[in-house]
Amino acid sequence: MEKQLKKIISAYPKDRHYALAVLQDMQSKFNYVPEEGLKMLAEYLEIPESQLYSMATFYKALSLKPKGKHIIKICNGTACHLRGSMNLVSGLKRELGIDPDETTADGKFSIELVNCLGACALAPVMLVDEKYHNRLTLEDVPRVLKEYGRK
Amino acid sequence: MAKTEKIIVCCGTGCIANGSLEVADALEKEIKRQKRKVKIVAHVERSGCSGECARGPIVRLLPRDTVYYKVKTTDAKDIIDSLEGEPVKRLLHRQDGKFFEHMHENPFHHKQHKLVLASMGIIDPESIDAYIEAGGYVGLKKALKMKPEDIIKQVEISGLRGKGGAGFPTAIKWRTAAGYDNFPKYIVCNGDEGDPGAFMDRSTMEGCPHSVIEGMIIGALAIGAEKGYLYIRDEYALARQRIQKAIDDCKRKKILGKNILGSGKKLELEIVRGGGAFVCGESTALMASIEGRVGEPRAKYIRSVQRGLWDQPTVLNNVETLASIPVILKDGGKKYTKTKVFAMVGKVKSTGLVEVPMGTTLRTLIYDIGGGIIGDRPFKAVQTGGPSGGCIPEKLLDLPVDFDTLSEHGAMMGSGGMIVMDDRSCMVEVARYYVDFLCEESCGKCTPCREGLRQMREILTRICEGKGEMEDIEMLKRIGNMMQDASLCALGKSASNPVLSTIKYFRSEYVAHIKEHRCPAGVCPKLTKFVVNKDKCRGCCACSRACPTDAIKGKPKLPHKINTKKCISCGSCREACRFDAIETKGR
Amino acid sequence: MINVKIDGKKCTCEKGEYLYDVAKRNGIFIPVLCRHDGFEDRRSCCRICIVEVEINGRTKIVTSCVYPVERDCIVRTKSKKILEERKVIYALLKKRAPESDLEMPEGFDRLVSLDSGKCILCGLCVQACDSLGSGAISTVNRGTEKEVNTPYGNPSVSCIGCLSCANVCPTGAIEFKETANTRTIWNKKFKLMKCEECGKVIGTPEELNGESLCDACKKAQVAEDFRKTYTNA
Repeated sequence: MEKQLKKIISAYPKDRHYALAVLQDMQSKFNYVPEEGLKMLAEYLEIPESQLYSMATFYKALSLKPKGKHIIKICNGTACHLRGSMNLVSGLKRELGIDPDETTADGKFSIELVNCLGACALAPVMLVDEKYHNRLTLEDVPRVLKEYGRK
Repeated sequence: MAKTEKIIVCCGTGCIANGSLEVADALEKEIKRQKRKVKIVAHVERSGCSGECARGPIVRLLPRDTVYYKVKTTDAKDIIDSLEGEPVKRLLHRQDGKFFEHMHENPFHHKQHKLVLASMGIIDPESIDAYIEAGGYVGLKKALKMKPEDIIKQVEISGLRGKGGAGFPTAIKWRTAAGYDNFPKYIVCNGDEGDPGAFMDRSTMEGCPHSVIEGMIIGALAIGAEKGYLYIRDEYALARQRIQKAIDDCKRKKILGKNILGSGKKLELEIVRGGGAFVCGESTALMASIEGRVGEPRAKYIRSVQRGLWDQPTVLNNVETLASIPVILKDGGKKYTKTKVFAMVGKVKSTGLVEVPMGTTLRTLIYDIGGGIIGDRPFKAVQTGGPSGGCIPEKLLDLPVDFDTLSEHGAMMGSGGMIVMDDRSCMVEVARYYVDFLCEESCGKCTPCREGLRQMREILTRICEGKGEMEDIEMLKRIGNMMQDASLCALGKSASNPVLSTIKYFRSEYVAHIKEHRCPAGVCPKLTKFVVNKDKCRGCCACSRACPTDAIKGKPKLPHKINTKKCISCGSCREACRFDAIETKGR
Repeated sequence: MINVKIDGKKCTCEKGEYLYDVAKRNGIFIPVLCRHDGFEDRRSCCRICIVEVEINGRTKIVTSCVYPVERDCIVRTKSKKILEERKVIYALLKKRAPESDLEMPEGFDRLVSLDSGKCILCGLCVQACDSLGSGAISTVNRGTEKEVNTPYGNPSVSCIGCLSCANVCPTGAIEFKETANTRTIWNKKFKLMKCEECGKVIGTPEELNGESLCDACKKAQVAEDFRKTYTNA
């Protein structure tokens, strides 16, 4: 991991302006920002680790805990909310046994309740990894999960 | 005779989600297959978002101008067969029993005035040549021959005001920044669109990225900046990808770089990917984020045009504002019609992006363009301006939509999100929803916003659960008023708008929750019981199929019954019923 | 020179001076919790120092600790509106930090306490740590979940146990423990050093950086050195 982290960090100039970009890259590589990564970046940029930790907990795109293989984002924007996005949350809870911000024990799925994904015309929307699933009802949840290898 | 040269498939986020990429492939395959026998001149192009996301994938034949909606891969053969002949009727827009073949006839489009959206859904957003062919970069070429003050003058004449919500005159901002002799200066594009229900900026960046880039270059010339940043929301992957492609193409064509079109002027543009924080749409928080810090706003008594990014003069403009610039320079400020793009969603028949002249009334937007409320149910409110906006009731529908009128009535035009609500939306719950949203999205720096929101959430939740007292309404108002005056940034100052405006216009709903323990809209689960109206129920079983908890039983063609003990009051049955047979009562 | 009338009192100031400082210099007290003279950067986050400013007949509410006075104005620090809004802010802070010594204004019985403890999130500790200490603590999370902590809540490698954070805290929210030989703060235990001359506790080795005398003994030593130099003794 150390090697990979080094590679990510050294791709950027030694400038604080790129801190968020580096952390984003770590997030996409490992599905989380490792503690090791924060330390190395702090050393590289010569700033206190606490300031990077502050960023990592402030920005929602970053997480300090490893996330599942597939990330399910349920849009809870206004349009989706009015059209029943919370029902999708309870549907997923029934199927996977986890609430938003949790990861299944087998590490396969994480659920996130997110703000508007900008696809309001298709509400309610669920984004699994990069794919949009739209106009979902409770009944559709098992079918969608099946696409991602759930029996 | 109808002719087709281009087949345009909308490939915005919405249409891709509906399978437009597969449709485009199917069309190409079909052309190849048929070409063996007949001559076909048409080819397939992938365009950006045309704003009608709800009815995608959208396929448009040009120049004959036939628009097909909700196209499936299996429709490919019929479409290719129809290139020169009669249109495929089943794929046309249909309203009130009539079919509409051409886009400009369709009521959703013909009352609009498209400037920013003009080439969206028509040209290929990934082709710089297509943009140039459509008149792109003409404005820039003119600007390159002008003095900075003359560029600003044209913008001033146009009357352009910032379209991100604040409505600050763009020319004044530019002139102030141009006046500082303090280099380097920066130009920043705010693409951190975060209001729930708004997707104008996403569509613009995806659909016509070059218009944003051109606007930025012109802005940079006007203020004397040589470096610019586009701060784009984390979730907008496609927008970032297309903007990056546009930047790269511009560099290749020497439209960006060290010597813009041989003029000796310089500009470098860089994308900054947002971190997933709503507050970063606020200018000072956005700049903190670009600098590589936590996105907390700072007090703004010293404006960022004077001291912005790294304490240098900085102009921050929103996507739509920048995309309006090229046409102003191209045609001159005098010819410019002030327009605004709205994302109209919610319980309205035709949802999507709508561009209209400033001052159009809400009624025109919702009824003439949007076609009215789904199922012709009663209109209750329209929420404008996202979490910072307010809920506007029926009696104010004839208000012209512009920067000032709406704020006088406790709402705001905002960036252009517009969510239409019918009688099945509970206004207390809507207020609670926004407060809940902001509790998570507040940066947490100042007391009024952080603690005020938290207490308001507690109070509103209490009311939604039937545990409220009348004095709670007064407390909400006291906290809300204080937040408007004392919060640090624009987000905090406007965070109580949804609460205050719903109290102002829908007080009776609050009172019903508190005094009668009843949710008039039938939304708040703890105060709502669903029952079947036996006279209206036709026994179609739609409700029992929709019920997630198997609480509805009944034989086909006979009235159904809801088991109250099993019912979780989710409302799925009411949405499913086509006969209005599911009714609500207080608990 | 700019003329400012604060609560009826005529004052003058330089252009760009912060309103709070002008008031203070003229003996007018504006309450504030997140401001410390020692730090140049004003967070202006408690918002208690709000006042009304009237310029050319138009009134607005500003935060006095960061509001630069640019032209003649009339200022009201205790108008009805300001007092009401300040009261609401106090109430909110007290509900956040019920164990603090802040006073609870009357009439807020319907608000609930959502936390225990004393922290009002003024951020002075973070500022102190950045400028006097070692940048060991920062704000963590955002929105209503925000708090001050070390990375991962673990004992911080960079903390030097200097107590700057605890000393600057207006509500005494940062806890630390001291025994005869140790000091514990932010979950980290430090050894305490004693002055080589008089035996008084002088701090942790991390903050002393090799120093081994207390202030008084150091002064005495310097004086002695001077004396030796000048008297050629």
